[in-house]
Amino acid sequence: MNLEQQLELQAWVDGELSSADATRVAQFVGANAEASALVAELRMTKSCLVGNEPEVKLPESGDFYWSKIRREIERTARAEPEAATLSWAFAWRRLIAPLAGVAALVFIAVVSINQFQQPLVDDSAKNLVEVENLSEDIGSISYKSQAENMFVVYVYKKDYESESNLKSEPIDDGFFQ
Amino acid sequence: MSHSLFSRRTVRCFVTLLLLAGGATHTFAANLKLEAKLIWGTNDDKSPNPEHKELDAATKEKLRKVFKWKNYYAVNHVVKPVPSRGSNKFELSKDCTIEIKELEGPKVEVKLIGEGKEVHKTTLTISQGQSVVYSGDDKNESAWFVMITELEEK
Repeated sequence: MNLEQQLELQAWVDGELSSADATRVAQFVGANAEASALVAELRMTKSCLVGNEPEVKLPESGDFYWSKIRREIERTARAEPEAATLSWAFAWRRLIAPLAGVAALVFIAVVSINQFQQPLVDDSAKNLVEVENLSEDIGSISYKSQAENMFVVYVYKKDYESESNLKSEPIDDGFFQ
Repeated sequence: MSHSLFSRRTVRCFVTLLLLAGGATHTFAANLKLEAKLIWGTNDDKSPNPEHKELDAATKEKLRKVFKWKNYYAVNHVVKPVPSRGSNKFELSKDCTIEIKELEGPKVEVKLIGEGKEVHKTTLTISQGQSVVYSGDDKNESAWFVMITELEEK
């Protein structure tokens, strides 16, 4: 008995054949002992499976069960963009350290240039003092004491041209206006 | 297992940048803390005004080296900040006010205001340890002084 005949016997046992084929196979089984034995074995296997196949029952209604599945799918879909944002932040985090280093170097360079160039450009301007009398009645004498690191502005009324109250001669110690 | 978004190293980098930025601000824009003292100078041994206080020895000695008076008394003193590119008024007496403006450079513009009128203006670079002193004659051969100094704490 070949494989095709065996499969045809299985289909006959399962009731899947047309009436003509079923009649033909029934005659064949009646005449062939090997086929008859196989059919008996197939029927016994089938009866065992039908009687002992485990039946799984849903603990809740079908609608509720599927709504749970739908909710889980929706939750997973929502979580995906969040994960994408997180990975973006982590990617930026990798860039921050080198960027911070570059920014620090630029800052140090700018400060260094500023420190080294400023004295060359502004040294004379730094020591420049501007004095201005804002009243016509008032006169002033300006004086820089290098020893005491003191810049003095002596103000007086113009009609009261007093002699200098400074102890030393201003012109010797600084500039005199 | 929980992951923090920023590692300790990243946080340290941020803090360093913030400090550097703070330093940059400090370098390019100075917030000054200045003290203005109104001082009265005389050759008398005592001040006739009981409200006058003894001036600290260092300032007294400094003034003695520059001016002719023997004794110096503290009338009033005001400590105020002068914000970067801003100004502040130091009212030392009813008639005497000093207005100080922080300028680019960095420099300061010191304006003497007497009896509400602007009298004199000086623009100069002020540094730690340096004093700017306005002075003028007063009655009975005495004198007044306004001494401006930058305090260390900014």
